[in-house]
Amino acid sequence: MINILIADDHPFTLQGTKVFVESYGYKISDTCSNGISALNLIHLHAPDIAILDINMPGLDGLDVAKKVQESKLKTKVILLTMHKEITIFKKSQEYGVYGYILKEHAQEELENCITEVRKGNIYKSIFLASDLINNTSDVNSELSKLTLSERKIVTLVNQEKTSRQIAELLFLSERTVEGHRTRIIEKLGLPKEKNALLIWALKNL
Amino acid sequence: MFSFKKAIKYIVILLFLLLVGCHDKTQNTIYKRSVDTKKDVTYVWLKNKENFTKSSYMDVFYNYYNKKLFENKVELASKALEIVCIRKAYYVSFDDVFYQTIQEFDKMYRNKLPVSKTVYINTYYAEINADKGNFKKAIYYTNKTTKIKVIDFESCLAKANAYYDLSFYNYSIGHQREAIKNNFKALDFFKKINDPSGLGTVYSNFSLIYSATENYDQAIKYLDKAITYYQKSNDLNNVYIALHNKIGIYESTNDSRFYSLIDSTYTSFLKQDIKDIDIKISIVTYYTKKLLHENKIEETKKILDEIKPEVLAKNSTEAKDEFDIAMAEYELKKNGSLLNTDFIKQAIPGLIEGEYYQKLQIYYTILKQDAIKKKDFKLALYYEEELKKVSLEFGKRVSRSKVIELDKKYQNQKKEQQLQINKNTITAKNTTIALLVTVLLVFFFIVLAISLLQKQKKLKQEKLNAQLYTKKLLEKTEEERKRIASDLHDSVSHELLSLKSSFEVKTENTNKKIDDIINDIRIISRNLHPIMFDKVGLKESINQMVERAQSVNDFMVTSDVDYNSTLTSSSELQLYRIIQEALSNIIKYADAIAAKITITENNKSVFIEIKDNGKGFDVNETLNNGKSFGLHNIIERSKAIGGEAKINSDKNGTIIHINIHK
Repeated sequence: MINILIADDHPFTLQGTKVFVESYGYKISDTCSNGISALNLIHLHAPDIAILDINMPGLDGLDVAKKVQESKLKTKVILLTMHKEITIFKKSQEYGVYGYILKEHAQEELENCITEVRKGNIYKSIFLASDLINNTSDVNSELSKLTLSERKIVTLVNQEKTSRQIAELLFLSERTVEGHRTRIIEKLGLPKEKNALLIWALKNL
Repeated sequence: MFSFKKAIKYIVILLFLLLVGCHDKTQNTIYKRSVDTKKDVTYVWLKNKENFTKSSYMDVFYNYYNKKLFENKVELASKALEIVCIRKAYYVSFDDVFYQTIQEFDKMYRNKLPVSKTVYINTYYAEINADKGNFKKAIYYTNKTTKIKVIDFESCLAKANAYYDLSFYNYSIGHQREAIKNNFKALDFFKKINDPSGLGTVYSNFSLIYSATENYDQAIKYLDKAITYYQKSNDLNNVYIALHNKIGIYESTNDSRFYSLIDSTYTSFLKQDIKDIDIKISIVTYYTKKLLHENKIEETKKILDEIKPEVLAKNSTEAKDEFDIAMAEYELKKNGSLLNTDFIKQAIPGLIEGEYYQKLQIYYTILKQDAIKKKDFKLALYYEEELKKVSLEFGKRVSRSKVIELDKKYQNQKKEQQLQINKNTITAKNTTIALLVTVLLVFFFIVLAISLLQKQKKLKQEKLNAQLYTKKLLEKTEEERKRIASDLHDSVSHELLSLKSSFEVKTENTNKKIDDIINDIRIISRNLHPIMFDKVGLKESINQMVERAQSVNDFMVTSDVDYNSTLTSSSELQLYRIIQEALSNIIKYADAIAAKITITENNKSVFIEIKDNGKGFDVNETLNNGKSFGLHNIIERSKAIGGEAKINSDKNGTIIHINIHK
């Protein structure tokens, strides 16, 4: 049996989370509505898992996670937040956060997340990826495999630009462009021969 | 605050003060006669010229004088004595009793009074000696007087008179060079007290000197000048002395106007009430000469007899001599020879000793004529030779040309002095004006500098205020946006969450709709304010911005951020906004293939560069057309955080450089 701490300044959400967690059969050791209390309770009861909101008065979820990491406590932190931000997720990784899920998808992901975290795995919300929505609904399915930089390079290759020219136009180094070209050829499964990319580009664009 | 009006007021006051100061300095010193406030009746009576000829004059004086001495009021006694001395000298009336009084006073009381108050004693001694023909002694005493310091009207007058006397004495013994020198000095001092009578005597002296050197035209000119001054001061005695001298000159030059001038002078003299016997005898002598010339011998005798008691009554050697000469001439005419030439012969050695050449000339002339009448031609020849010698002696000290030369020299010296004075005055004036102008200019420039400085300071302050205001405004705006963003994010989103779970019957459709709204709110809130900017930091926020631009706008942006959070959070936020604005502009307008954001820093500044390879634009035109809010936004925000934005653009793209001081 593991103990779980829940901290959220929205009573309704806190209540909802508590219900969810209990329904999964876990014991709630503490609930609180601010970061400072949460940190104190973590110190006091050393719960296995702490489910923290990010936006809280006093200390926010990230701050608590940072303190936990600094104090080398065994408690594993899961952030349950409205922030659908890759940058914040990245930041949370610096503080040793195990789980990052969004509140509106708690129902779908929380149980799975706790399970993964208990195992010691990092759980990142599957919905977080759509933070950076790619609007270009390209018909060319081959091209959609490529990143923006790669696609730009292909376009410029099509215009018969040399790697040096491309580097100049995209404010990249020539080496970076060369690297991109190699990866494009790999992704598109082109033969490793000279001008393969140019030929493909001229044919497909 | 220094206002120009005030400054001008000060300048005017300054100017006025300086001008007043200048005016005082450039004025010549003219001594004015001090008004006698003490109204001692007796003294005033003694001072009145008209009373001198009254018989009681000396009695009144002695009474007063002894009384004052008895009362130990030495100064008052001295003043009375002085006035009598002056009168006696003026009327050439010397008597032994008075002389003794003077000597007594000199011995007993003189040292009790300041030197300047007793110079008249010297003058009196000099006059007495001069009257006796002892000019060397007279010069000795007068020289003493010239040593006094000029401090007021009286001392100046005394000095002027002394120089005049020196001139006359020197003239009388043929020292014409000294005579001229001293006469010029006298002229100076008389001018200082603006005394027309004194000036008259000086010019009269010039005339005499010129006569002595036989420059008669010049002599007449000076004499006329002297007469003008005498008339101006209503000094009738001297007018007649001058006329007498003029007659003398006419005599010397054998001028045809000689007798007519004698006639008119004598006639007008009789009409005046002039008591001075010296003048009278002088004029009468000439008149008798005229009468003798007209062979009116009886009339001559009559006039001489008439005047004789008056001459004898007055103890004046000069008057007596003159009368004797007139008598001698009368005798000559009447008898063909002098009855008695002994008195002349006796006088001659004394005159030779005293170098009184003027009188010697007259005496020798009479003796010569007498000898001729007596047909003693050998004697006549002797006198003729003596006469020549004397004439030579009289003029020898300074030859005629020498006198003119001297005169000219002194005139020139005078002119030069005047010129020098003028020059000095002008220099002083110019210096003052230059000083004034300089002071004014300096003052003006100081005022100008101060006002400019203040204006500049004010402008600077205003600029600072404006910048501060902009900064505050920007910060407030950010705060506001942040608040709205977090309200939306925290409250509205959570409300939606609770709404989502409150539905009894949950459908995929409503859930999705609610999630979409939540996502929309996220986007709005993110656009309002970068999420958790404080926590995430500038570098990550920019990376996120770049990534979003790539994914959302499908635009190729790369960033190279070498920055370690050395600016304040609010400055970082402004920087974020600047980059956001620049990037948004590039995406909207530049038509660029790619853009790059670079942030570097050193220990003084943070450098930001945002460049694209778009089509570019005319920076100045765009900045001035009033539509370029984005560009102004970049510039103003840069200023607000103490930085400077430079925008360069051409057909190859645009580069924005921002330099922010830490």
